[in-house]
Amino acid sequence: MIEKITINNLLPEVFSDEKGEPRIVKSDVWLRHLTFEKPLSYLIFAESGTGKSSLCAFLYGNRRDYEGSILFDGHDVRAYDPDKWSQLRRMALAYLPQQLSLFPELSAIDNVLIKNRLTDYYSEADIRRMFEQLSIDNRADSLAGHLSIGQQQRVAIIRALAQPFDFLLLDEPVSHLDARNNEVVAQMITSHAESRHASIIATSVGNHLSIDSYKILRL
Amino acid sequence: MILHNPVNRLLRRNISVGQILGYAVANFVGLAILLTALQFYRDTTKAENSADDSFISRDFLIVSKHVSDINTLKGRTSGFSAEDIADLSRQPWVEKVGEFTPSRFHVNGAVEFGGRGMSTHLFFESIPDEFFDVKPEGWGFNPADSSAIIPIVISRDYLALYNFGFAASRGMPQLSEQIVGSVPLQLSLSGNGRRVERTGEIVGFSSRLNTIAVPESFMQWANAEFGDDTEPTEVSRLIVQTNDPGNPAIEKYFNENGIEVSGEKLNQGRAAYFLSIVSAVVIVIGLVICALAFFILMLSISLLLQKNKDKIHDLLMLGYTPRQVGAYYYRMVAALNGSILVAALIVTLIASRLWTGVFAALGLTTTGCGVTILAGVVLMALVTCVNIIAIHRNVNRNFYNS
Repeated sequence: MIEKITINNLLPEVFSDEKGEPRIVKSDVWLRHLTFEKPLSYLIFAESGTGKSSLCAFLYGNRRDYEGSILFDGHDVRAYDPDKWSQLRRMALAYLPQQLSLFPELSAIDNVLIKNRLTDYYSEADIRRMFEQLSIDNRADSLAGHLSIGQQQRVAIIRALAQPFDFLLLDEPVSHLDARNNEVVAQMITSHAESRHASIIATSVGNHLSIDSYKILRL
Repeated sequence: MILHNPVNRLLRRNISVGQILGYAVANFVGLAILLTALQFYRDTTKAENSADDSFISRDFLIVSKHVSDINTLKGRTSGFSAEDIADLSRQPWVEKVGEFTPSRFHVNGAVEFGGRGMSTHLFFESIPDEFFDVKPEGWGFNPADSSAIIPIVISRDYLALYNFGFAASRGMPQLSEQIVGSVPLQLSLSGNGRRVERTGEIVGFSSRLNTIAVPESFMQWANAEFGDDTEPTEVSRLIVQTNDPGNPAIEKYFNENGIEVSGEKLNQGRAAYFLSIVSAVVIVIGLVICALAFFILMLSISLLLQKNKDKIHDLLMLGYTPRQVGAYYYRMVAALNGSILVAALIVTLIASRLWTGVFAALGLTTTGCGVTILAGVVLMALVTCVNIIAIHRNVNRNFYNS
């Protein structure tokens, strides 16, 4: 559904007074012309406060407070209405928000099923297998609110994968994971993206996802 | 499926049962009052329109000039001049004015009844046909046909006076309307030096007219044939059709112009007017309660969506459409309003059943409930639509973070 994402002179409105600042001038992303193409993978390194979550929110249609433009296959996304965004979020764009946004009152498995039921992409058995792969199958039926932050992060990753997608946006996907879990998660994400011929765009402030990326960008 | 749907489990959170119950009770009370009053109003106005015998029959007034001592002493008749009639017709509450034409000839009526003969002087009056409440068959008169029966309508009061006053005290048989109608009346019309024998028949009884009425065409013919031209042609009685019988201006006008209304018509009109005002006040009270209940629900919905704001936003982030997220609340509001409507309609139907019995005992017919049901459905559909639009807007507001 989306072959490439192009950003043109993109800048968060909150940075509009800082266009001459070194961190904007040196950025590979802000105020640049940049294209993310399927099925390549991108790692975006950023320091805290440089707007990486903003970038993800802009690309996911969650925020519109930016200058410049974002094009999906040449179409300016500012013209998209909520229904169009909903359709893209079900079929073309997968997103792992930094704050995870799990529903603490639902069980871990229900948090994934609530996403999966939109497209019925996987069966519940498939999803339980993914819980197993990430070693959280024993917590699948616990309330998400009762899980550790690292466990919650893995549940949120499985949820992000429980749909068809062309681009997978991962906002600090492994910030709460140790090296071993990082490997396992990276493997799962890579294999899922490959099976869909999809692109991964992952941000990181330090602990970055262990994937082979085509391009590393500095925000 | 719906029970296990985790979305519903999420959206159900923070629903305040107390608020919803408060709304349901308030709206149910308001709607029940509103619909019951509406049905009552429709039943009573229908009774007014259909039955002239009813307590609230109202739209015709028979008026005459007040007969004062001075009139009697001076030998003057009290009648309406052409000017008086024109002035009356100009009043805003008057729809139509009809004149009573009195007979200006001598009439003698005789009956053969059970071997006994009775004979009496009579008088006739006529009014334009459109003012008749009874439309008997064969009403009309053809002067060319000398054997034609002259149809007569008499006041129902006269028969009652005979049956319950005269017959009861004198040991005479009581007469039904059918019997009276089947007895031919030998009429002898005379005047102007001429005399004619004709047969008359009582074809109907009127509650509206306290007179002995004949067709206007007969009256014109007979007055021309036997009438005394020297008698004054002033009209002594008028029949007035009004569209607003409770209007206080009517009584004021009649008092100022020395006009009397026969019977209790004016009071009945006032009663009907009072009844319609009471119904209207109750309907307005019902509407006010409904409106207040409506605001309770709108506030409650707004509060609920505010409390569930983050959940709604997160569901939208997962790819749920605003319509999918709103659907749970749409269903909730629709089911709530539907149940309230059904409960209020049941109360209305039971209440109307109760007074239908009382009305039937009074000889009044009532109307169907179709319009009331329709009014309730339309009102609640409107309320539900506004609720759904408000929910939709509120959910859509949560779509973007900025």
